[in-house]
Parts: sequence; C-alpha cells; structure tokens
Amino acid sequence: MNDAQTLAVEVTGIEQVTPLIKHFTLASAGGGALPAFSGGSHIIVVMRGALRMHRNPYSLLSSPHRLDTYEIGVRRMEESRGGSHFMHDTVRVGSRLEIAHPVNLFGLDKIARKHVLIAGGIGITPFLAQLEDLHGAPVPYELHYSVRSPEHAAFLNRLREREGDRVRMYYDSENQAVDFDGLLSNQPLGTHVYVCGPAGLITRVVTTAKSCGWPDSHIHWEQFSAPPVGEAFEVFLARTKLKIHVPPDQSLLESIETAGVEVPYLCRGGVCGFCQTRVLELEGELLHNDHFLSDSDKATGKSIMPCVSRARCKNLVLDL
Amino acid sequence: MLITGIKSKPVYAPLRADVGGRYHLMLGLGSGGLALLRVLAELKESAPEALENTRLLFAEAAISRGAVNAPAAVAPGAAEPPIAGIAGAAGMIEQFEQLGLGSVNRFDDAASLLDAFRTILNESLMGTRLYVAGPESFIGLAMKIALEFDLNKDEIRTEEMGTLARRVYCVHCRATTEEVRTNIVRCAKCERWLLVRDHYSRRLAAYMGVMVDAEAPCELPPSKEIYL
Repeated sequence: MNDAQTLAVEVTGIEQVTPLIKHFTLASAGGGALPAFSGGSHIIVVMRGALRMHRNPYSLLSSPHRLDTYEIGVRRMEESRGGSHFMHDTVRVGSRLEIAHPVNLFGLDKIARKHVLIAGGIGITPFLAQLEDLHGAPVPYELHYSVRSPEHAAFLNRLREREGDRVRMYYDSENQAVDFDGLLSNQPLGTHVYVCGPAGLITRVVTTAKSCGWPDSHIHWEQFSAPPVGEAFEVFLARTKLKIHVPPDQSLLESIETAGVEVPYLCRGGVCGFCQTRVLELEGELLHNDHFLSDSDKATGKSIMPCVSRARCKNLVLDL
Repeated sequence: MLITGIKSKPVYAPLRADVGGRYHLMLGLGSGGLALLRVLAELKESAPEALENTRLLFAEAAISRGAVNAPAAVAPGAAEPPIAGIAGAAGMIEQFEQLGLGSVNRFDDAASLLDAFRTILNESLMGTRLYVAGPESFIGLAMKIALEFDLNKDEIRTEEMGTLARRVYCVHCRATTEEVRTNIVRCAKCERWLLVRDHYSRRLAAYMGVMVDAEAPCELPPSKEIYL
C-alpha cells in the first residue's frame, strides 16, 4: 500500500457518541460507491497535519451491505502522537481526508458453528460491521461488551435496536466483569471467539481460551498498537544508502516514509506482517512492539516491523 | 501412470497425547486399539487426571458394509471379505476398562461406532481433542464427520493401523467403491475400470478413481494388489 492508492473522501457527519469517542461518516469525494468490504475490515486514514502526517488504522463499523458511506469510531487517546487529536480537534464536516482501501485482518470464520464476540470499549467497532452479517444468519452468536460506565457505551442504542438482549453489557463502574472461564469452558465444538479491545482484555481472553483447551485457530483477536514513543535512534538503509534519524514521537516507518522511501504496509499497527523488514546489521537491541513475529523470531533479531517497533542501538542497517 | 507426490494424500503420525485438551475422545477400530493403549499410557504418565475426562469408542471388526450408503465393492450375496480382526483385540476392551476412563463403549462395527461418535460430537465442548486409530478408510470416515463440527488439525490426531484398503470415488458416476486393494478397480456402480489415484478428498473421505481405459477401451494396465 502506498499513497498513490488512496481514495479521497469527504467527512459528511461527525457525532460525539461518548465523552471520548467521535463517530465519523465518510463519503467518496468524487461521489459514487466506495469499495466493497467485509465485516472486521479496517481502513488507514491519512491525515495531513500542519507539522506532520499521520496514518492511523480504524475499523469500519458501518454495514458491509451499504457502500455509499463508511463509518468509523475514533477514540481520543490520552497519550496520542497526534492522530486521534487531529481527528477530534481539526476534522470538521466537509473536511477532505485520504483513506487506503479496506483490508480485513479480523474476518469471521465462515464455517464456524457459533461465534462469541467480546468487545472492550472502542473495540466494539469491527463487531458492529460483523453483526450485519451475523444477524438473521442461522449460526448462533453472542456479544459481550464491557465499558467503563454507561456513558462510555458507544453505539449501544444501535446495538440494542437490532440485537436486543443478545448484547450482554458489563460496566466497570458497577464492578461487572465477564466470567471468562465460565464463558469459554462451556461452548459447543466448532465455536470461534473474537476479541477486540484493550491489551489486558485480549490477553485475558486468549490465555483463558487456551487454558480451556481451545486451539489457536479458533481464537481471533485484533488490536492496533499505536506506535509507542521512545528514544531517538539512527538507521541506515542499505539499498537506498540513506541515513535516517528516528525522533522520539515518530515511528520508524513514518521516518522512512518522510525520507521518501516507500515500505509496503497494510495495518500500521503491528498485526499484518506486511511491512516486515530484514535487519542486515545490528549493534544494540531491537524493541519489538508487534503482535506478528513469534517470540523466537524476535529473539533472532533478523527482522523488524517498522510500523510499531524501534531500536536502542549504535548501528542498525535495514534491507531497504 | 500413477502420479506420486499428490499433496492431498493424508499423512499420519504416531498418536501422541495432547495435554492441552480438557476432554479426550478416542476412536479405535481393530488394531488401532493398540495405538490408543499407547496414547493412554502416555496420558496416564503425563496427566493422569485427564483419564477421567476421556471417552473411548472401540470396535474390533473392520469397516462394515453398512458404514456407507454407496454400492459395495462385492456383488450382492457374495461373501463378505474376512473381517480384519486381530489376535488380542478381544482383550483390549478389558485393558481399556482397567484404566479408569470416563467411559468405554464397545461397538459391533465401525458404522454403529461412527453413529455414536456423531451424537457425542453434538454435545461436546470446545477443548475436546480427538484421537482416531485404525484403517485409513475408518480414519477418513471419522474425519468427514469431525469436519462437519469444524474440528481442525489442531484438535485431531490420527494414526493409521491395519489395512490400507481404500474407499474410491468414481469421478464419472459419483459412486464410492469400498475396500479397494488394487490400483485398478471396477466401479461398483457404473462398472468402468478406474485407476485409483493418490488424490484424496476429505469431504468425501475417498480417493479419486478415474477411468483407466478411456482412450483405448479394454486395454488395461496390469492390476496390482498394492493397498493391503
């Protein structure tokens, strides 16, 4: 993916749905239908700020059956590097944005005999699109949605309207929590579990499911890591012979892009593996922040995911 | 003539206990019971508490004609091929029973075993591991049922024990011929001469049979008994 393949969209609606989440509606700037997608897909929104460019992944929450607009939910991150603040503070109805075509890294399993969806906070967004496909289909499903307090339950009215009591709500403010062990130890064969939300929730679900004997192929999760802020470091690109400085608040991928070198990417959140880059020389250590490489791959130090990972090093040479 | 190296041909490995599972479901036919005894000994050693969460279904006889609804390889009224019973099979049930498993059920033939298997899968929970040991065609039929329940390779272990006789699907008339031991076989329904390929369908639990004399009728390569 690179910027030549982006689509121009216009913001046609903005709604503050919770104290932290804004709901954006986007339509093709040139008019007409947007590209088709499946439930669980995300887009990359390219934001050209005054000082720098941001490219953030957001799940599509609108119906895959309606392509006149895309809808996304954006949570204002406290420690934002700027992307979510840009969306919240700068973008207005009528603003033009660029987006990358939808990509699905969190699709529903087509032969599952049951789906268990677990959302935490803003993690509800991919499920809203998936529910469009699940609703009315013969395969049973259930949705467990946990939020801090009732005022943080984004899109609950929309869910209640369609799903009624099938949505199980859990409010931290009322000390309600999902009984993960009870839930995952009592599911029929052929069930798939999907979880999206904060890292702690994902870890709980994945470890509980595994301890209940679920194989990896039945456990699905998605979390887009924002590139973490870190210490500045230098990197040398062997093929283009460029020396690049990576400042604390910019990711390795963004710094490489700023220098004019294109790296293929899809998710920019350490999930898809698309931007995996070979490490040719390293004096120091790689700070892996992705969910793609296995622990043993990370330990070998032979490759890095520049979208979220950094380095603390004297010398780093990449095969770019 | 036979193309080798076809990827769909199933590969089996000796059964190993998977202590990551919460429930263990074991199916054995004939000498496959020996493989189950081996994996049960391993389970007893590494996770003895798993034995009470283990259900075992066993039949001594080979696959019965009733296991499928397609025509049989032998003409009606002809004698059934000898049952692939093995010495010591009768004593296997006693050995299973001594292990203190959750349940041990004995069946007269593979068909009734597989019917019970389907019923059990209907009420089984995530966390179940399936172990199947026996002739390849028995494994295939069990896998076909398991597939309907979305069990996948992480949840199933299989070990081939006993006859290599194949179920052969006629790609021309879609009938399945059972207990095929030769590389050339006559389709039980349309009577075409078929070459038995290594091309395997998990959905049909059968190898593909393709007309062998289509271009030169009645010119048949020598038939060899190779799936014993």
